[in-house]
Amino acid sequence: MRVRRLFYTVPLRLRSLFRRRNVEQELDEELHYHLEREIENNLAMGINVEEARVAALRAMGGIEQQKEKCRDTRRVNLIEDLIKDLRYGFRVLAKSPVFTGVAILTLALGVGANTAIFSVVNELLIRPLPFRNADRVAMVWEVTPEGRHQNTTSRANFRSWREQNTAFEEMSAFSDQRQTLSGDGEPEEVSVQLATPELFQVLGVNALIGRTLNQDDGRAKSPGVVIGYSIWQRRFGGDPQILGKPVVLNGSPLNVVGVMPAGFEWHIRSRSGTGKPAEMWKILNMPTEGPDTLGRFLSVVGLLKPGATVEQATSEMKVIETRIGEAAPQYNKGYGVEVLPLREQFVGNVRPALLVLLGAVGFVLLIACANVANLMLARAAARHKEIALRAALGASRFRIVRQLLTESLLLAFLGTVVGLAFAWWGIRALVAVSPADLVNLRDVGINLTVLAWTLAVSIASGIIFGLAPALEGARLNLNDALKEGGKGEGGQNARSRRLRSVLVVVEVALALVLLVSAGLLIKSFTRMQNIDTGFDARNVLTMVVPLSGTKYQQDKPCIDYFREATERITALPGVKGVGLVNYLPLYGGLGCSTGFTIAGQPTMPPGEGPGCNVRVSDAGYFGAMRIPLLRGRVFSDVEDSEVKHIAIISESLAQQYFPGEEPIGKVISVEMFDKPNPTEIIGIVGDVRYDSLINLPEPTVYFPIPELTYSFMTLAIRTTGNPASIAPSVRNILHEMDSTQPVSDVRTLEQVMGTTLARSRFITLLLGLFAGMAMLLAAVGIFGVMNYSVTLRTREIGIMVALGAQPSQVQKMILRQGLLLTAAGVGIGLAAAVALTRLLSGLLFGVEATDPITFGVIVVLLTAVSLIACYLPALRATRVDPLIALRFE
Amino acid sequence: MLTERSVDIISPRLSRGEEMSKPSDLVQGTLGLLIMKILALEPLHGWAISQRLKQVSGDVLQVSDGSLYPALHKLEQEGWIQAEWKPSENNRRAKYYALTPLGKQELENEANNWRRLSAAISLVVDLRGA
Repeated sequence: MRVRRLFYTVPLRLRSLFRRRNVEQELDEELHYHLEREIENNLAMGINVEEARVAALRAMGGIEQQKEKCRDTRRVNLIEDLIKDLRYGFRVLAKSPVFTGVAILTLALGVGANTAIFSVVNELLIRPLPFRNADRVAMVWEVTPEGRHQNTTSRANFRSWREQNTAFEEMSAFSDQRQTLSGDGEPEEVSVQLATPELFQVLGVNALIGRTLNQDDGRAKSPGVVIGYSIWQRRFGGDPQILGKPVVLNGSPLNVVGVMPAGFEWHIRSRSGTGKPAEMWKILNMPTEGPDTLGRFLSVVGLLKPGATVEQATSEMKVIETRIGEAAPQYNKGYGVEVLPLREQFVGNVRPALLVLLGAVGFVLLIACANVANLMLARAAARHKEIALRAALGASRFRIVRQLLTESLLLAFLGTVVGLAFAWWGIRALVAVSPADLVNLRDVGINLTVLAWTLAVSIASGIIFGLAPALEGARLNLNDALKEGGKGEGGQNARSRRLRSVLVVVEVALALVLLVSAGLLIKSFTRMQNIDTGFDARNVLTMVVPLSGTKYQQDKPCIDYFREATERITALPGVKGVGLVNYLPLYGGLGCSTGFTIAGQPTMPPGEGPGCNVRVSDAGYFGAMRIPLLRGRVFSDVEDSEVKHIAIISESLAQQYFPGEEPIGKVISVEMFDKPNPTEIIGIVGDVRYDSLINLPEPTVYFPIPELTYSFMTLAIRTTGNPASIAPSVRNILHEMDSTQPVSDVRTLEQVMGTTLARSRFITLLLGLFAGMAMLLAAVGIFGVMNYSVTLRTREIGIMVALGAQPSQVQKMILRQGLLLTAAGVGIGLAAAVALTRLLSGLLFGVEATDPITFGVIVVLLTAVSLIACYLPALRATRVDPLIALRFE
Repeated sequence: MLTERSVDIISPRLSRGEEMSKPSDLVQGTLGLLIMKILALEPLHGWAISQRLKQVSGDVLQVSDGSLYPALHKLEQEGWIQAEWKPSENNRRAKYYALTPLGKQELENEANNWRRLSAAISLVVDLRGA
């Protein structure tokens, strides 16, 4: 029934809308036909021509009224009215270009900021992750007894996890390593992921060509390797016959068994040994026994069974971990375990910041809306006469509100279009200032989801800023409005003035909250920047030298290579010092730490002994990094080339474990070697923050290179000038020494550390920007309201001046009014800020969320700004000529 | 029952809250019923419908020409009648209305309603005593 009706009604509605002229013409023709027939009829009855006409028309009851009634039956009035209102709205907006321009620009700022930030939120927090079962994929980490989260685990523990758990369908362990790819062309350092073959099942990806890894790849004579799409294109020219071809990694041959699809990336930044996405995948060997099973270097990812929750998995893993700890307390006592869903793993560290930013741009938009609402209220006053006329001609209040709201929405829409252009620029700027290591913003852009959000924001803002002025505009006393209509401003009533003041107070309050938040973050950021890291990051160039190949399987060639390299680099002009270390401080990746015992002190029960960071360095490292030597000495030349069983410790280790004693000469044994390796302490150096900028420095033991030789070391070169400029000469030296060995990660130490401060810098910069926008908009709002207020009070001021008031008194009066509004806004804003800045506390370092100094400074700043905004209107008030003012009406 | 129905008399087809001209001497809404009944016999143009209304009701029901057209357009928009431009009996173009199959159903429903209603009202009006 209903459907059959549509068959008749839809064509009619469409015709009414789109063939309006034809429909109107037919209506006219139909009614005229009736009239003609009626007149003919009347004539036939013997009535004269004129009377016949009049009678026919009277019977009809007014042809235009009938037409209008017929039109009302068409059911498309809403749309027709909308089109009319839009046309009218365009004309009105075009008539006052300044108002329209300011309003559109204001809105565009708000909408643009919202769109830009939302596009990032969408990319990072909303868009599905590119894995088949992304919502079931979770990382499993250990938590160290010292409380360090996201710690890697050992082969033995991974084996227990995988065998004993029931919550995960499958589990895989992996570890990123720098390896050297040689063969055709220059040797190249690539990031290789050693993984158990289940990794690809867990992630739900297949190879583009060939296959992913399987267990046999580890056992075969030339093991299989899977390569990524980009290296396939870059290094192998996209060779379709790549399968079965040999590649050489770290000097040993491998067979390509598969190529991963373009865009596949599996990179967990936490504890990555390379800090960059893997381009090749090799089988991770899993010996069942021996010391290799105990080192903690594995990241673990699992695929939860359908229906299994992260909480269930966590509690089960905790049970298993406790069991492991009881079975082998010497290795596992005190360790905890945590299960992190993939999204949490990827963006957990930026989510709070993003949500704060989203809130901030929301505030900016609200302030923009308040400003536009203010402008519209002022204009509504000027339009009183027009609106009164419409009301007098029969427009209902609802109809007027609708028309005014249509205008607001039109304005919002125009603001949105400009705002989208701003957002487009804004997103580019965002991507430019966001450090690549923090989050992956490559694919951020304006897509459909973002557009939908923007549209929603735009409509919401149109209603927010349009509703109050529309209701206010439609609330009028016809008599008064028409009587006073000629005076333009006369219709402005106290209600409307009060509303405008309220809007300004709200603006000031919102701006204050944003400014306080930004102030807290800035203070926190400077605190972080001023943390004593224990070294001097200025003017230091760093690069990683990974030695590989059969030649460097032995320690001696590595030791010699590093010695020669440092000697030759030291001789370069502009170099003040050169050092080597296995892991730089604060580079954001895997470190190296373990337990130790002190000779002559009681041995602690297994797992409860002290722990320390372990760093391998040469003597030059301390000088190059400006890590102060506190007592004793650094390594000698001999100790830099031969094993002498000596070590240097950090200040905190000395204080914690040798209280009131002289550590130099004492012997400690660090659990890093196959057999106990007692080493004598020869020196104490200052503390360095290796793992975290904000946590206290960990006790650290330094070994010379021969003691614990690594095949890859990081060079730290202190220069007199710009450190980057020395890079080519250093590369040359290394290339001359052995052209088969690559260098990588050539960065200044400040760049290396930058990643640690990146999140803080990112959010501080953006929130500061938004707070600045908010302050500017609020100032514009105050200026607008005060300026308008002076216009309204011109007569009053004129009388005051005529009665002998001094300009300074007039000025004071206006400033007092402005300050009163500001004070109200500041008061409300302070209360709101106290409540809201608590949400920031997770992002703050060394600053309380209610830091009184920040609050005070911001209050003073905002008050000063609003005073400036009031000053111009106040100045204008002093120039009021009483004669003109009194004639004003 | 009665009050509910009496609301129906005043606006039986206006449940969507639309406004329509109020024929002075005709219970509103029954006009649609009358028009459909007349069109059930043959397709007619507006003027002919007005003439037929006057004839058949013996001038008891005064339908103003003014309320006729909005009522026609409304029925058309409901899909109950359909319009077609055709040459008229005096060889001019006129808009002829005809009942659609939907309209036939509607007419039956409405006619039945009307019969029940008028019977009920007659019963009440003819009640003896107070």
